[in-house]
Amino acid sequence: MTFEALIFTFSILGISETVYLIKKRILSEKPVCPVNEDCTKVLSSKYNKLFLIPNDVLGLIFYIVCSLIAAFLVIIVQPLSLWYMLLSVLVFVGSVISMYFTYLQYNVIKAWCFWCLMSACTIWFMGVTILLNNILL
Amino acid sequence: MKTASYHILRVGMAITFIWIGILIIKSPESWGGYVQPWVTNFLPLPLEQIMIGTAIFDIVIGILFLVDWQVWVAGLLGALHLLSVLIVSGITDITVRDVGLLAATLVLMLDSLPIKLKFIRPITQRFS
Repeated sequence: MTFEALIFTFSILGISETVYLIKKRILSEKPVCPVNEDCTKVLSSKYNKLFLIPNDVLGLIFYIVCSLIAAFLVIIVQPLSLWYMLLSVLVFVGSVISMYFTYLQYNVIKAWCFWCLMSACTIWFMGVTILLNNILL
Repeated sequence: MKTASYHILRVGMAITFIWIGILIIKSPESWGGYVQPWVTNFLPLPLEQIMIGTAIFDIVIGILFLVDWQVWVAGLLGALHLLSVLIVSGITDITVRDVGLLAATLVLMLDSLPIKLKFIRPITQRFS
């Protein structure tokens, strides 16, 4: 239950982050940038889309799917092993893409976006949770 | 502009409401055990169905908190819901935490009242 609760909590945090960014983008408003003022530089760069879909939308879909899978695991919707495998694959792919985006911020755009880093950390924490669950069980 | 503390409370309450909803869907009969016996006599539907309805209601409130849309409605519904929980369950060692949740839903409701309801705002701001 702890595992599902953690995955679910991280997913909800991710949903709140991405919903905030989508709202700001639709309203053409600058997001609050607590660390520095580089968020807009990153969010408006040419790397803000993947396969023509804005990254915030992709992130929202990812987090919604992860939260639904966590809910299925809690409610015991069969087949549990398939849901668990799907979650592991999704989080692994998400972690790799987050590493790529973090590299882009560090080396290509040369600016940091607080919300992008927070989302990346959220996915990495999900990955660590899955790893620890595999090790401990 | 809303403060960071408002958003932290909003997302925290979203997690709580959605997660509780999922747990109730998982085992409605266990959660129904918290309902006082005298209440079950007045229920128009079986307790299990009422609990499933409660779970969906909790999830809807949580989603409204999460997407930051009509938060005052979610806060109002959440407060009324928690008030009803305290009435039908009584304040026990477990349900005492609902008092804190009730206060949090009221905070979110009062802090996100629309301009249309500005006649309530001076009352809430009088304490600042």
